[in-house]
Amino acid sequence: MTGRSFVSAAINRRGFIRLATASAAGWIALGATPDRMRIVASLTALPLDDELTRRGMIDSASSRLGNLVAGLRQRGWVEGVNFHLELRSTFGAPDRLKAAVQELLDLKPDVILTGSTIETAAVLAATRTIPVVFATANDPVGNGFVESLAHPGGNATGFTNSSAEMGGKWLQLIREAVPDVARVGVLFNPATTPRGGRFFLDSIEQEAAASGVSAVPAPVNAPAEIDDAVRRFSEPPKAAMLALVDSFLVVNRKAVVAAAAQYRVPTIYPFHYFMDAGGLMSYGPTLEVRSADYVDLILRGTRAGDLPVQSPRKYELLINRTVARTLGLTIQFTLLARADEIRE
Amino acid sequence: MNEPIDQGQSQAPPGRLFRKYLYAIVALAFAALAINTGFDVWFSYREQKQLLAATQREQAASAAIQIGQFIGQIENQIRWLARLPPELSTNEDERLNATRLLRLSPAIAEIAQLNSEGREQVRVSRRIADKVGSNADLSASAAFRGASDSRAYYGPVYFFADTEPFMTLATRGTGRDPNVIVAEVNLRFIWDLVAGIRVGNTGKAYVVDRMGVLIAHPDLWRALQRSDLSGHADVRSALDSVGPPSGGLVKQGLSGQRVLSTYATVPSLGWLVFVELPLTEAYAPIYASIGRSSFLLVILLACAVLVSLVLSRRMTVPIQLLTQGARRIGSGDLDSRLAIKTGDELEALGEQFNRMAAHLRESYATLERKVIERTSELEKARDHALAEHDSAERARSAAVAANETKSRFLAVVSHELRTPLNGVMGVLQLLDDGSLGEAQRRHLATAAASGETLIALVDAVLEYARLEASTEMLETRDFRLGQLIEAAADLMRPQALDKGLSFDLACDTTVATAVHADPVRLNRILLNLIGNAIKFTPSGGIGVSAAAERHDDHLLLRIDVRDTGIGIAPELHERIFEDFVQADDSIARRFGGTGLGLVIARRLTRLMRGELKVESAPGAGSTFTLQVPLGLAGNSVAQGALAPPSRQLRVLLVDDDPVNCEVGAAILHRLGHHATIARNGASAVALARDQTFDVILMDLHMPDMDGVEAAFRIGELGLAKMPRIIAVTADVSRRARDRLAGAGIAKVVSKPILINALREAIEDDLAAEPVAAQRPATELIDRPFLDDQRELLGAAQIDKLRQLLQQTGARLIDDIATAAAACDHRQLARLAHQLGSAASALGLVRLFERCREVEEAAPAMSRHEHESAARELAELRRASMRALDDLLQPAQQHSVG
Repeated sequence: MTGRSFVSAAINRRGFIRLATASAAGWIALGATPDRMRIVASLTALPLDDELTRRGMIDSASSRLGNLVAGLRQRGWVEGVNFHLELRSTFGAPDRLKAAVQELLDLKPDVILTGSTIETAAVLAATRTIPVVFATANDPVGNGFVESLAHPGGNATGFTNSSAEMGGKWLQLIREAVPDVARVGVLFNPATTPRGGRFFLDSIEQEAAASGVSAVPAPVNAPAEIDDAVRRFSEPPKAAMLALVDSFLVVNRKAVVAAAAQYRVPTIYPFHYFMDAGGLMSYGPTLEVRSADYVDLILRGTRAGDLPVQSPRKYELLINRTVARTLGLTIQFTLLARADEIRE
Repeated sequence: MNEPIDQGQSQAPPGRLFRKYLYAIVALAFAALAINTGFDVWFSYREQKQLLAATQREQAASAAIQIGQFIGQIENQIRWLARLPPELSTNEDERLNATRLLRLSPAIAEIAQLNSEGREQVRVSRRIADKVGSNADLSASAAFRGASDSRAYYGPVYFFADTEPFMTLATRGTGRDPNVIVAEVNLRFIWDLVAGIRVGNTGKAYVVDRMGVLIAHPDLWRALQRSDLSGHADVRSALDSVGPPSGGLVKQGLSGQRVLSTYATVPSLGWLVFVELPLTEAYAPIYASIGRSSFLLVILLACAVLVSLVLSRRMTVPIQLLTQGARRIGSGDLDSRLAIKTGDELEALGEQFNRMAAHLRESYATLERKVIERTSELEKARDHALAEHDSAERARSAAVAANETKSRFLAVVSHELRTPLNGVMGVLQLLDDGSLGEAQRRHLATAAASGETLIALVDAVLEYARLEASTEMLETRDFRLGQLIEAAADLMRPQALDKGLSFDLACDTTVATAVHADPVRLNRILLNLIGNAIKFTPSGGIGVSAAAERHDDHLLLRIDVRDTGIGIAPELHERIFEDFVQADDSIARRFGGTGLGLVIARRLTRLMRGELKVESAPGAGSTFTLQVPLGLAGNSVAQGALAPPSRQLRVLLVDDDPVNCEVGAAILHRLGHHATIARNGASAVALARDQTFDVILMDLHMPDMDGVEAAFRIGELGLAKMPRIIAVTADVSRRARDRLAGAGIAKVVSKPILINALREAIEDDLAAEPVAAQRPATELIDRPFLDDQRELLGAAQIDKLRQLLQQTGARLIDDIATAAAACDHRQLARLAHQLGSAASALGLVRLFERCREVEEAAPAMSRHEHESAARELAELRRASMRALDDLLQPAQQHSVG
């Protein structure tokens, strides 16, 4: 909505049609999209049939692409009419990443949407001119994507995810859910998590030390390793697990959740996607990813480097009590009081 | 009838009027509408602007209140936490309460509870792990110090993680050891509020903090850029607590477009809420209103034009009708009525027009009636006048007839007097053969003088009669003018001297020249004037002066005859030239005379186209002035008329009267000619046939055959050398002359024969003959009449008449000859009448008159006379027809002549 207002204002500035009404301005905004067919490329680690990438689910809050397409349409961009959406997936495989990036660049896209830090880094390594909008990045400044959050300066901007201190928060929350926990496993794929997991591990270890539990990193490098990694925490002493922000884990979230359930390891996740897959609890920022906003601005000529990187402002705690009961956990009311959503 | 013309003419001016009205009304309507619309638009523009600014201010104020409330709510919540009773405040409970607060208020990112010493008891955060009982000393923090029990602490806006606007809010609880609650508030949540504020369709509300840094904007990314707006003039002035302009401020907005901007201050926070509406949208209603007004103006104008058209037509059509009506009335069509039904002054005007036309119609009718009346009166008067004129004409005709009778009488009497006188004078002239004694000679002289006087008298009467009958003709020839005047003076001088009067003649050298004129008549005038002068001058003298003035083709002779006589009263100056008038009756008694002298003198003068005037006063003498144009003489002028004849002529003298024969023969001998006498016409014809004569003196009245017939027969002899025939007669009537002309007689010598007159007649050289031959042609036909007829009927008609006359004339002549032969005088008279009538049609006057005479005289005529008249008529007709042909075919005239 705001974008549209901006666009109509920009157009009316040129014209001098004083009698134009707001509705006319809106119509012009809708109709005044550039004549050239734009190409919006999207690079994701998720398989294209993943529900998060499914295009048809426009109304679904969980579908990022659905949000994007709907948002762009609100701003006058109709797919097939004035822009093409090109989707490429790495399927979480690092070896396929480079080919996918090159494939996208060959399309000469007007803007590239990236899913996570890994893809963003790969794209930015390949181009510093094509605007890049990252959907989630934990440490864009640290990764060198942007100069600063307020003024990125380069060709990339986007949305940040959980900050580094969130590790301590996850630990505290899982400890409250499992008061008798002695050790906490930290599940991540070093290849796809920020700084190989160190981004979060610092705060985790600090909180673990403060609360008297041990934090045990459990890196996995392939989906096949997930099961093994989880199983290690099914044995006493009482263990819980926390999954880091990791596209690999998101891609393999069902396997992760399944393993946790199988080995009865209470696990806290950073995204609600895992809850949808049957996870115990999740805590993380509500992803108010307004990619359509930035894509629209970029397509209309705004430099990506002028658009500040947006940080999350809302955080949500989801708890599945059914899963908790299955695990033999009784969630304390202090934690329930904090939960934003309690699933039965 | 003149309808199309009317319409054609009347089209242009009403059209102009129509256009004038149309333009005037349209201009008026346009002006009214335009002014109305202009004012309307202007005021509505101003009102709209004011309204807009007011609305915007309200929006800004409302937004400011909402933001204030937003912050106030958070403040209330943390104040609630701060004021929880200490009994409830175990550590864990406090964490739970803080957690609840975080659930309630998403904008609060972190809450810390400090005890009254500033030690941190609990810290609950959304991002980091909660801390309970850390006892960190935060007493030095601005939040702890700023929070009092009455007032919350509002920290400055700071940006967390580079992009997130945050503010610290702190409140202090109550009681002995009041806790202080410090909350970190994420101001990005104001975005929801700000984005929700509707400023028109495209307007925006945004918030800046006390430092001028943008903290909330519907375009989220703007707020995240930590934009410092304190450089903007309006923000700067707002920060300096300058109130917003009442009408709003027009400025460049953040996105670069022109916006209408106003702001409001958030109470207690000191933040500024700016509300901006793009001018395009802000003024859209104004422009729409202007557009509507303009559209309405155009519509109204169109209506005004239509109404003007109708109105102008309604105004001009009656005027047009009036104009046409006025024109019709002006062109005389008074029956047309104007049908104007407008129900206003124009209709009244039309009625007035109709009434005026009606009045005019009546007036015309009256006028016409009067004209008819007057005309009939005039006709009556004219008829009357005509009748009077007719009677006057009849009276005049009678008078003329009487006068003619008198003239004839005079002519006959004088003729009858002259015949014996002729004899007397002849004998007296012959008596003096040189053998007479002195006494006898004196007696003879006396007798001769008496005779001369008598002859002069008779001549005067005769001349008067001729003039009266207009038969006098000038007999012109060349002569010496000076000699003539001197001769006349010499003739009269003795009489003057005898009377004891002086006589002076002053002849200018200009008169010593030869002229071509009638010397006899001129001489007579002179003698008359000088004789009169002598006669009426008892004492003193006579003066005659003569001068001639040369002109191109003639000589203007002026002769003054002055006397010192009795003079003439002015009123008689003209009367003395009238018949039988002398200056005074007593004069007649004293001086004698007929009183005809001046009359004859003037008539002769006029005949010569001259003028005779008198200047005189009683007792002061008189001066008679004669002015007369004279022709110029030919080259060779004989020195004197009195010279002996160039050669001896053989003259045949025809007269039945033996005395006259004697006298004539004697005079001819005296003149040196050889005379042969014939006593009747037949012997004259025989002599003419047998002998050769140069001249025949023919008496007209002879018993066997009158002179005309004799001349005619001689003409028919076909002689090798045709002698000139001179008629000798006392009959000077026109009829007589006509007869002579018909018989080819050119000259007439009046009886009694005077020696000089005879000599002149005989010795007249042949050069005069063409003149004589020409004369009958002009006299045979009344040319003025013929010219009139020709003009009246046309040449073709005249020619037709001529042919007709040719045919009928020939036939009638034959019939007349037959009738004459049969001595059928009745038939002769009828035929003569017919011929006369036919001849009169083409102005053959002499033929006509002769016919009339024949007609009248036929019953009394003998058979011989009948035949003679028939021949005469035939000859006259032939001559007349020839003359007529000459006149009608002028081209042939020269070849014939």
